[in-house]
Amino acid sequence: MLRRTRIAALCAILLTPLAISGPAGNRTQSAAQPAPSYTYRGTVHAVNASTGTLDLITGVGMSLRLVHMSAGPAVHTSAPTAGLRMADVKPGYIVTVEWHRTSAGLVVDRIEKLEAPAR
Amino acid sequence: MTRPRVAAALFLLLAVGCKKPVKPGDPIPGLTAEQLARFNRGKEVFDSVFTPHTGLGPLFNSTACEVEVHATAFKGGMCDPLVQEGGPVIQLHTTPALKAALGIDREPFPPSANARASRTTPVVFARGLLDLVPDSAILAYADSEDRNHDGVHGRPNRSLDGRIGRFGRKAFVPTLAEFNAGAFVAEMGITNPAQPTEENIGGKPIPPGVDSTADPEIRQEELDLTDDFVRFLADPTPTKLTRDGRRGRDLFSKIGCTSCHFPTLRSGASPIAALNRREFFAYTDLLLHDMGPDLEDICLGLAGPADFRTEPLLGLRDIQHFLHDGRAATLDQAIELHGGEGAGARDRFKALPTADRAAVVAFLKSL
Repeated sequence: MLRRTRIAALCAILLTPLAISGPAGNRTQSAAQPAPSYTYRGTVHAVNASTGTLDLITGVGMSLRLVHMSAGPAVHTSAPTAGLRMADVKPGYIVTVEWHRTSAGLVVDRIEKLEAPAR
Repeated sequence: MTRPRVAAALFLLLAVGCKKPVKPGDPIPGLTAEQLARFNRGKEVFDSVFTPHTGLGPLFNSTACEVEVHATAFKGGMCDPLVQEGGPVIQLHTTPALKAALGIDREPFPPSANARASRTTPVVFARGLLDLVPDSAILAYADSEDRNHDGVHGRPNRSLDGRIGRFGRKAFVPTLAEFNAGAFVAEMGITNPAQPTEENIGGKPIPPGVDSTADPEIRQEELDLTDDFVRFLADPTPTKLTRDGRRGRDLFSKIGCTSCHFPTLRSGASPIAALNRREFFAYTDLLLHDMGPDLEDICLGLAGPADFRTEPLLGLRDIQHFLHDGRAATLDQAIELHGGEGAGARDRFKALPTADRAAVVAFLKSL
């Protein structure tokens, strides 16, 4: 009996990691975990402060994107010169954008305006 | 070629001659055991064959080497890389799920495109060193006004956000990390933490259910390992030159090829000792040059249709097809297809006696 219990316990220890893990594609985000944050660097294509949307042209290597993001008034903004507000963000600005993914799409957490590189 | 450049090239030749030769595909000498382990683990990721279940697609280019297609629009002197229509890389394959959903077996050609280009798979040797060449050095080599009146007026390209580019046939990509992360997505449809969103298809999102793998499809660790593998790939040691090869090397400089194909570059500061401030054979200035109307294809950033970055001449000994699209079957043909700023050197090459032309080719085959 004791031997059976020990085997069952050993099996449970060995199989538990397999049961709770799986291929990356099948894993779902735990409700308790915050959504991972990502950073895009790019050029503001369009911005609408009243509807809270931001379109960003971004490129990583040859992989270029026009990404549509939600950017509410609570978005944290910063710039080399202080005092940037979401309403001040203009097309053509070079920015880094921290964002996370929700079921409704990409949501901006923070925008930082960058100085355009010297020519 | 200026005296300091000649001295640097000769010093490097002496140094290389005293060391064990590095073969194509070897890691750069001087890596620590930990860095070497990352090189080997990165090679495993680099060599992985992805499937739709591990993130491949839904649009992708072949997992093996093949000529790929790019497209952009050049109108009124401005370049449109067609980001709203899926970007400049046209993927030639779709996963079965995307084919079932949309009935397409390749990415549709963007309606706004007015130019297309073919591209062969690039050589990836010494990319870690090229990544470390300071922007200031690239700018110092530039001569966009042709102040020295040699008919060569190299200029840097810029990325969409204005940084100096150095990777890709049009020098559009500023850093190796971005080039690698972008290649995962553009070539294989593998999203990653640097580019976690899938490409649209002709401006429309991917249909629901077609791509069931959660984004990003590879982790930062896999991306970093792949990046280290490419970063640590060595610049192969040129093979020992015969007397003809040595004469060819001198002729290569004498006829003006080194006006763009600078023999050596120097990397900047790096925490990786093996890459830190190293002089290396590169045969490029990382600048754009007008190569004439016969080679024109797409624009990209500040590069017009005829502008191409000077191709680093590394690993030539193993290459079967030359130039950006592989149109040249031999090195002779590749040189003869140079136009624009390369026309002077090309004409001087063509005017050489047959034996001297062969000597130049012998030298190039040593790289």
